[in-house]
Amino acid sequence: MLSEREVTSILNMLRNEHLDVRTVTLGVSLFDCVSHDLDLFMANVRAKINRYAAQLVSVCNEVGDKYGIPVVNKRISVSPIAVVGAPFGPDGMVRICCALDAAAKEAGVDFLGGFSALVEKGFTCGDKALIEALPEALARTDRVCSSINVASSRSGINMDAVALMGQQILRTAQATADRGGIGCAKLVIFANIPQDVPFMAGAYLGVGEPDVVINVGVSGPGVVKKAIDRAVASGCNAGGGRLTLLDLAEVIKRTAYKVTRVGEIIGSEVARRLGIPFGVADLSLAPTPAVGDSVGEIFQSLGLSSIGAPGSTAVLAMLNDAVKKGGAFASSSVGGLSGAFIPVSEDSSIEAAATSGLLGLEKLEAMTSVCSVGLDMIAIPGDTPATSIAGLIADEMAIGMINHKTTAVRVIPVPGKGVGEEVSFGGLLGKAAIIPVPQGDASAFIGHGGRIPAPIHSLKN
Amino acid sequence: MQKYTASFLGRDCPGVVATVSALLGEAGCNIVEVSQTILLGQFAAIFAVETAAGPGPEALRARLEQGLAEAGVDLSVLVRPAQKEFASALRCEPFVVSVDGPDQPGLIALMSRVFARHQINIEYLKAILGEEGTDHALFVFEVQVPENVDLGRLRRELACEAQSRSLRVSVQHRDIFEAVHRVGAT
Repeated sequence: MLSEREVTSILNMLRNEHLDVRTVTLGVSLFDCVSHDLDLFMANVRAKINRYAAQLVSVCNEVGDKYGIPVVNKRISVSPIAVVGAPFGPDGMVRICCALDAAAKEAGVDFLGGFSALVEKGFTCGDKALIEALPEALARTDRVCSSINVASSRSGINMDAVALMGQQILRTAQATADRGGIGCAKLVIFANIPQDVPFMAGAYLGVGEPDVVINVGVSGPGVVKKAIDRAVASGCNAGGGRLTLLDLAEVIKRTAYKVTRVGEIIGSEVARRLGIPFGVADLSLAPTPAVGDSVGEIFQSLGLSSIGAPGSTAVLAMLNDAVKKGGAFASSSVGGLSGAFIPVSEDSSIEAAATSGLLGLEKLEAMTSVCSVGLDMIAIPGDTPATSIAGLIADEMAIGMINHKTTAVRVIPVPGKGVGEEVSFGGLLGKAAIIPVPQGDASAFIGHGGRIPAPIHSLKN
Repeated sequence: MQKYTASFLGRDCPGVVATVSALLGEAGCNIVEVSQTILLGQFAAIFAVETAAGPGPEALRARLEQGLAEAGVDLSVLVRPAQKEFASALRCEPFVVSVDGPDQPGLIALMSRVFARHQINIEYLKAILGEEGTDHALFVFEVQVPENVDLGRLRRELACEAQSRSLRVSVQHRDIFEAVHRVGAT
């Protein structure tokens, strides 16, 4: 027999705290679709995606119904297109992107990731073609996401790629200028990109992954916030003593455990019903613009006036670590990013802090050194120079490279708009006020090109 | 070997279980399973017992009542021969149905009629009143749903009944509660 608390706690998580499975992402390897003939390659790709994804949405809905936990998004990740489509030029890459978009729409998924290139040490012909194709490809498609890995702790930072991506981000924004530069919301620049992340826009299926696999992204910032609120309201720890940050870290850890268990049980069952291996559960506190589904609000629950106030980096470090610990205990299949996201436009509280000036790019950058991902969904002026965007990317890549962690940049230089103006992307992507980029000129530094060498792996201090 | 169920209902106080179990032992009964609860200060328990060649159910009840009266324990007793357990011919899955909203007479009957229609057996039922205000009621049904039951239809029928009384209803497989709350559950 279940206890009253066991029943009411799950009901509360669902009804009041936005507990859900944020995404079930079907990974599909495209290596066996390779051909020298573009039409044949695209036909192979669509056939394979259709074969495995046809039942994805209905099975996710059935399993979600069974457990009463909504599976909000169903997505697909594929092998990096720059690798499997290496023989093709930029025009071919655009056509492949359109074919992927069509496959995503046929399957009924909201995003498909993997229009990606891994260029941390150098470019292949396929990498160059894909990156050149990005502005048109992302403008002509709705559901395809792209990630470009330009740095790693083992290889260093490919500064030629960083410079190029500074330009391509601007061009992508221009190509989607009529929609506020939304193409850039589907483009992420990474250091140390994980091969199994189920969250967009960075999901792709790495070369070491199975032929097909189910990865699950579980969220739950609202659940964590309410658990902290309850502990703070009680004012005492489990032993009746004064509540301290040690106790609050424990609360976060236990809550993360519960949320991860939800992801694991649902992911495993979806995988079993589809006859596909289960890969990882990625517990990441991923906000949505809805009130009560915010990572920024957790900062307030922990005692800061707002995210961005002094202490924010420490709060995020504690939060991120406790989430990882709870997740690791809950499942042996924890993977992906598993931490906390701070995407500005997608989180009403973070967006409000950025709009009011309490949270700037500098503080966001500092915070990315202790959390999952990095400078995420940040609207910047449309006239920001490409070299400044490249400089931002280089800084973020350096944090990831030196600290052996994933970092990323997803900025949107909004065409025709300046600091303080607002842009709205709609849906999960939310809205944001444009924030200033630090002044100063990085053009000569970026112009050097070449590679920042990999860091030393000993003498760590 | 005879099998009986002996059920006891009455005022709860320390020593009730000691008295009842001692009397059963003296009557030659071996206790094989017990379920006990307390509600509004009332003790309620069912003891499943085995006895080699003991008295019949009526004689056992009379003996237990006499013993309880001598011990000054105020309990009603009912003894029945054990019957074959209800078992669905079909494989069943455990689900938890939670219904909550403004309290009013007839809610349990309303919901349980739906279960009965689908041959769904209720294994545990708990009503919790006054959680979110004086009129609020939460009913938790732990049920066994036969595999031929269309879950979507069951959900719609429950939601339809619930809506007519301004209630919220959720239907969830029991495993999710185990997975989230219990370390070691698989």
